[in-house]
Amino acid sequence: MNIMRLAGLAVALVVSLLFAVFVGDQGPWYFAWVVGTVMIILIAGAGAILLDAQDEQTSEKEI
Amino acid sequence: MELINPDVVDLSRFQFALTALYHFMFVPLTLGLTFMLAAMETVYVVTGRQIYKDMAQFWGKLFGINFAIGVATGITMEFEFGTNWSMYSRFFGDMFGTPLAIEGLMAFFMESTFVGLMFFGWDRLSRPAHLAITYLVALGSNLSALWILVANASMNMPDGAHFDPDTMRMQFDSVVKVIFNPDAQAKFVHTSVAGYVSAAMFVMGISAFYILRGQHKAFAARSFRMAALFGIISTVAVITLGDVLGRLDYEHQPTKIAAIEGLWHTSKPPYEPWLAFALPDDARQENHLEIGVPFVLTPLVAHSFDTPITGMTELEEQAGPRIASGIQALAALRRYGQAHDPADLAQFRAHEADMGFGFLAMRHAPGQDVSALSAAQMDEVVRQTEPDILPNVFVTFWSFRIMVFLSLWFFAVFALSAYVSLTNRLERNRLLLKLCMWSIPLPILATEFGWITAEAGRQPWTVFNRLPTFLSASSHGIGYMIFSLAGFALLYSTFIAAELFLMFKYARLGPDHGAHGAQGPHLTVAHDRKDAFSVASSLSS
Repeated sequence: MNIMRLAGLAVALVVSLLFAVFVGDQGPWYFAWVVGTVMIILIAGAGAILLDAQDEQTSEKEI
Repeated sequence: MELINPDVVDLSRFQFALTALYHFMFVPLTLGLTFMLAAMETVYVVTGRQIYKDMAQFWGKLFGINFAIGVATGITMEFEFGTNWSMYSRFFGDMFGTPLAIEGLMAFFMESTFVGLMFFGWDRLSRPAHLAITYLVALGSNLSALWILVANASMNMPDGAHFDPDTMRMQFDSVVKVIFNPDAQAKFVHTSVAGYVSAAMFVMGISAFYILRGQHKAFAARSFRMAALFGIISTVAVITLGDVLGRLDYEHQPTKIAAIEGLWHTSKPPYEPWLAFALPDDARQENHLEIGVPFVLTPLVAHSFDTPITGMTELEEQAGPRIASGIQALAALRRYGQAHDPADLAQFRAHEADMGFGFLAMRHAPGQDVSALSAAQMDEVVRQTEPDILPNVFVTFWSFRIMVFLSLWFFAVFALSAYVSLTNRLERNRLLLKLCMWSIPLPILATEFGWITAEAGRQPWTVFNRLPTFLSASSHGIGYMIFSLAGFALLYSTFIAAELFLMFKYARLGPDHGAHGAQGPHLTVAHDRKDAFSVASSLSS
């Protein structure tokens, strides 16, 4: 099962790399959109998690 | 040949502009909210904290209202190509229809299918599976926009097609060239991230409303933080891609960029000012009341300090030989159509690149026939056609400036909001919160003006340098056009009123209220009524 999972991840990795090479070469702005959107989502998510941490820190100080 | 009544052409343009602008009031929110929902749900799946599920469900409900009312408004435009723009569809349908068909079959159905799973699948799917569905909805809605913009880019920068003199239409050559058209790439990313900005301002503004009223504090603070960060990066991306589009227009649509900048005469680098204010006078071909920022125009447009930018007067003069060449192309094409002589075909090929300018000259030719002009008539027709190559400068100039000034406003609001949120000083900045609230409709307004800039700036062409707008419409009666225009205006205004009513209603009710899709009142979680301290305590326990 683990080998199958590893193989699946390896295939996904290869497909992702081929996608990145092809789209990065033929359509740099499409590639920028894919990477940029992921980055925007991650930064927005990180901001929310940081707020959780800030709240926890505040509550610990108040206690 | 009898030309289509100019009033019918104007009414067809007005009707398309009206339906497109109405439709585009809904689109940006769909494009952006889906990825914002994906971001919220990602945090929910990663952290397991209920509040992020509540956020995804509440903002998902507002997305659902927008999606349900807005999505159908775009379908009428696809029919309008056939009903009101039949000459255009005949000439360019092979190119334009292909991406539209892919959009309908692939992206639209993908989006519509998965949106159902997204709304009704919360209790039926595992967390990762539901998250994957949300991402697919986001991808589907943005891919819909991609194919529309691929089609639009082929009108602005026709690439991957050739004109067939036997069928008298543009024929599709290369799908790769059409999809990877530089204009399509830049326009898609610009439009998509403009949707992100609209969604971020929407979420941030409504969250600011809750914070101002002291309601749903934990919910609103997290929504505000995520939207501010989402918005500031998206605004930077919008401005960057706007610059890329400007550069492409400078290279491929010099009349559009000259009109955008109100540049009647070729610029004098490096001093040439960027006009922040002016009143362009199309009739007299000059500007009134110019207020400019020196040394900005050349690097902004040409990305250099010493490259002159050709003005509209000089572009008119440069068009003269192309108009004469286009007239020869049409004359050769007509002879080829009658006798199929290879010599006529060869002559047509020699002038083919200017064929559109020949079409443009038809309006001024006796009997609208450019194939039998005398030398004197030719000179007169060319002279009369030269000013026709320019778009409406006043409209293009001001629609661009409104979009630009608004985007700078968004940058300031998002930057300040992100800073204030990250430093946990939101509640002390009530003026900023009010500004966020009142700024909710502005990104949608900016995208509307962006669309006007792109489309008004492309005139007088439907297919740039290939097919003029006055030759593209259908030969309807004026009564038919006015009746259908009034019908669309009434129907779409009803949709907008319904959307605004529902949005205001559910936004005011807030996340505590009501069912979410098939979920029932999932949002009545305890920490919506608690302050940040008790939320933190409950989360850590």
